[in-house]
Amino acid sequence: MKRRIFLKGVGGVALATPFLSSIAEQQAKAQAAAAPPKRLVIFYTHNGCLTNRWFPKVEDGALTADALAGTTLEGLTPYVSKLLVPRGFRSLNGYAVGQSIDPHDQAMGSKLTCATIDQAKSRYATAVSLDHVIAKQINPNKNDPLVLSVGAASTSIKEILSFSAPTTPFPANVNPLTVYTQLTGVFKSGGGATTPPTTPVGGDPGQPPAPTEADWRVARGQSVIDLVRADLGRYQKLNMSQVDKDRVQDWLDLLRTTEVGVVNNGGGMTVTPAACSSGTAEAAPFNVTEMLVQAASPTGKVTAGAFAGGGSAEGDKNLATSFTLGGDMMLNLIALSLICDTNRMIMMLYPGYVVFNWDGINHNHDHHGISHRTGDFSVGGSCKVAGVLDMILQIDKWYASKYVKLVSLLDSIGEGGGKLLDNTATMWLPELSDGAAHNLNNLPIVIAGSAGGYLKQGAVVNVDSKAPGFGNSEGSCKDGGNIGNTGSQGGNVPINKLYCTLMNAVGCTDESGNKVSKFGAFDGTGTSGGITNPGEVAKLTAAG
Amino acid sequence: MNTWRIGLVVAATLSAGCTGEIEEGDAQMPGDLDPSASPTPGGTAGPSGTAGPGGTASPGGTAGPGGTASPGGTAGPATPPPPAPPGTPTVPAPTCSAGIPGTSQIPRLSNVQYDRTVRDLLGVTVLSASGNVEPSVLLATDQEGGLSDLGWSAYQSVAEKIAAQVMKDPASKAKFMSCTPAADNSCLHDTIVSFGRRAFRRPLSQEEVAGFDAFVAKGKAITPTGAPEELAEALLFAFLVSPSFLQRSEITEAADGAGHYTLSGPEIASRLSYMLWGSTPDAELDLAADSGQLATPEQVVAQADRMLKDPKARDMIASFHRNYLLMGTNTRWDTANRDTTLFPAFNKGLLPVFMAETEMFFDEIVYAQSGAFQSLLTSPVAFVNASTAPLYGLNAADFGAELKKVELDPAQRPGFLTRLGFLNAYSSYTRTSPILRGAFITKQVIGLEIGAPPPGAEMTELPSGAEYDTNRKAVDAQTAGGVCAGCHHNFINPPGFVMEAYDAAGAWQTKERVSGAPIDTVVDAVIDGQTVHITNPAELMARIAASPSAQKGYASKWVAFAFNRASDPADACTVEQLTYKMNSQTYPVLNLIKDLTLAPSFRVRALISG
Repeated sequence: MKRRIFLKGVGGVALATPFLSSIAEQQAKAQAAAAPPKRLVIFYTHNGCLTNRWFPKVEDGALTADALAGTTLEGLTPYVSKLLVPRGFRSLNGYAVGQSIDPHDQAMGSKLTCATIDQAKSRYATAVSLDHVIAKQINPNKNDPLVLSVGAASTSIKEILSFSAPTTPFPANVNPLTVYTQLTGVFKSGGGATTPPTTPVGGDPGQPPAPTEADWRVARGQSVIDLVRADLGRYQKLNMSQVDKDRVQDWLDLLRTTEVGVVNNGGGMTVTPAACSSGTAEAAPFNVTEMLVQAASPTGKVTAGAFAGGGSAEGDKNLATSFTLGGDMMLNLIALSLICDTNRMIMMLYPGYVVFNWDGINHNHDHHGISHRTGDFSVGGSCKVAGVLDMILQIDKWYASKYVKLVSLLDSIGEGGGKLLDNTATMWLPELSDGAAHNLNNLPIVIAGSAGGYLKQGAVVNVDSKAPGFGNSEGSCKDGGNIGNTGSQGGNVPINKLYCTLMNAVGCTDESGNKVSKFGAFDGTGTSGGITNPGEVAKLTAAG
Repeated sequence: MNTWRIGLVVAATLSAGCTGEIEEGDAQMPGDLDPSASPTPGGTAGPSGTAGPGGTASPGGTAGPGGTASPGGTAGPATPPPPAPPGTPTVPAPTCSAGIPGTSQIPRLSNVQYDRTVRDLLGVTVLSASGNVEPSVLLATDQEGGLSDLGWSAYQSVAEKIAAQVMKDPASKAKFMSCTPAADNSCLHDTIVSFGRRAFRRPLSQEEVAGFDAFVAKGKAITPTGAPEELAEALLFAFLVSPSFLQRSEITEAADGAGHYTLSGPEIASRLSYMLWGSTPDAELDLAADSGQLATPEQVVAQADRMLKDPKARDMIASFHRNYLLMGTNTRWDTANRDTTLFPAFNKGLLPVFMAETEMFFDEIVYAQSGAFQSLLTSPVAFVNASTAPLYGLNAADFGAELKKVELDPAQRPGFLTRLGFLNAYSSYTRTSPILRGAFITKQVIGLEIGAPPPGAEMTELPSGAEYDTNRKAVDAQTAGGVCAGCHHNFINPPGFVMEAYDAAGAWQTKERVSGAPIDTVVDAVIDGQTVHITNPAELMARIAASPSAQKGYASKWVAFAFNRASDPADACTVEQLTYKMNSQTYPVLNLIKDLTLAPSFRVRALISG
């Protein structure tokens, strides 16, 4: 069978050919019988939140609209039956609990690795991160996770959550156009504004009909792939280090991906889902066109860490564009990537060191400084910024609205008799619990969707033996007094167990093919001791 | 990515007990507990990222004393260095011999290198069909590991855009092909050979040429009509997605008899050009490579000498010093802020001027004056305009908007640490910050490795009260606690207190703004393991200029930057040899850079172990 080739990265041309259609029809039939893929999407924000405002009012039990009323999560009310709020988890390597390098650097580097960070100046994690472990197992062709952000691309540990290998950062992509271009390469012809391919003029009389655009593009694509493969093949013959050999092999694997399409439904057949089309992209609720993607992709300098008074007018404007239009576009592109099944492990990371000046929010200090209640990097002392708690709440609610937008997008896509959201675990994961306390216990986490029925739904589940409480984020700050301890004591179950549960939910296994029971280098309060408490958390599963 | 990981542990063991300073109301960098740790300039990637030369991965010196003291680099008799303060230790001649670090044979072009490479190959600087952005804006973010699917997709789509654009632009097209494509494909064949040589940075093998010939011979099977122009565009596209274009490959397997591999001429040319220009070799370098003219140290350094005179090298040198200064987007340099009720001469619009004057200073010393490291710390040259003149104690009426070269009072303004740029970047909102300034000088310039403050130290508030009539007294008391004093009182605070001679906007001050108490700049600092009595900034700068530790710090940062890798034990000998030269003779920075290309291992590679 001829393989479908080189439809990725060809500049947004969607193609309709009898050849492709017939393949698609065959494969759509094959797909109909297969269960929809399971995915994990992580929505990540910095600097904690006002935990006492964020958590649903129920600490353990059924999640109801009443429990969300008045909280930061109130916007999720329409999806209450599809939510799981795990309570009582603690991230590892808290400052002075584990290492004593920097609370933010440790929170970032250890968050998805459950390992230490490198003492050297880079401060990168010393282990591969969860998203790469999962992607390698569940992604078609084992491709890397899709890691996205807004603002300026950064390789600072302050903004790096993903590690493809120990001390090897996997920085986020910030340009929606780059993601969109990849998608246009796999879009099927889906009606909408797609221009039908034209038959080129200039064929000689008496010759067979001129080839269609699709034909020559496919042939050119295959020919280029052949050249690239031959080039890589010459490298394979060299006496290279294993590291270099692996890189050559990775590239060769990508060529195969390009050739055989992006979906592996398990039976060796490959298919791009019928809904993966420019028509879908251009229709509500996405309304994604190349022009709009361009508009959402700032092309000039972005002032990522625009501290009060810092940066430039142009950089700040571009930051605002990137956070609003660009961020929303990224959420659309996440939904489309899931529809097209180009990736099953996706992360959206919002940067933490920015001044909010958009959507009616006008702050004079960056989010990080506001989270400290002091307006800058200093911690402790008294609440110096007037109205600082309201500012934090504004930011918390802004992020909540973006999470709601993502959930609503995924819940609008029909899939396998239900919604795409149902086959996905879409988790809002925070850097910290409370920003001033920098505490990693009692983390505010919410997961929408059950990953195909694996996770419990419509519930708040306290996984600790004691009630974790709601935290003391407002402390005495509201009276202009000292900041005090804004953290909390409860909620200390190591987050490794949540990760094991999620890995099992999306279909990962351990080396022996059994359920995953261990993740990370350690799960105690220090940084040694290994995994002392293996296993997923049964209470979080639908069966549990 | 250029991440500094230089660990110059001069003091054997330092207590990690150093408090961060509590900065009130200042615009600060992230880094809760380490006020001196700003994100590395290399930490911002993407469109506005400042990348280094993204140099070649090249090994450090192998051999002993001859390692960098090779012919050609610093020819001519060595003159003694500038006089050092009495008692300053000197560096003994090194007797080390370095290993050869294993390096990748196939590093991918960084995004900045990609932009510069297509600029120099094809004259393409922006993508006209995509809002005139630099090509790399559409590429995936730089990352070290294997190519991701998104990265591969992006390479292809950007290559398509470049190929289409080149064929529409006669100037770019002329860089791609020097003939007019015709039906017999002979022009395309010639282009495969000649453009292929430049795109792959080495001559193509017969097998490779045959492969591309066969590609264009497919004619209208691979383009709409098979027209020669269409095939030329397809050919360019194919070159731009080829691994041999996207990777700076070192594939010659000529064993040197010592367990390593001798690089070919084109491979050395590629190392030279990406190290010195961050881009692809030019015609002259290609010619030298192809005619066996890069086989000896003399030949290599002759090319380096020529290349260093090119403005592309000035960009590289400026990039190095931005890294050295931790200057860049979202660093203290472009986010500093002052309370203008206290410092009316300050406004945010001056930040770009401060950065420009600093960059011009380094360009002046390194380039125009062919100066040495010592001059960076002691030269009174400055670039001043009407806005900055008052802060330098000069008459604004003597200046316009342009920065003008002047000589300042060498007693008050020796070197870059006494310029407005540094003084403003490393200050607080309402007052100077001896801790920020002192930590920068101690860690970044003198090269001491000082760990993060212990837990809780950052909670120490700056004391207030009548007895603290100077900022120095308050900071001294703030850092007097048991866990703080070890680092602060010995290492961090003393140079910071000397710098109290300049206020938070960079003006010379002799008394405190509020209390009127006299400024005290007399300290006992610990430098090179010695306690040194210092009374003023000029003495401090002279001492740092002569400090083997500071010289070593500068040399080691050059080695890491030029070779584009974290400090490697195998490079230690190269660093020592450069340090010795900096210490024992007048040694222009340009010579230091040239000597980097002279390490014997610049022409040899080793495999990464494991």
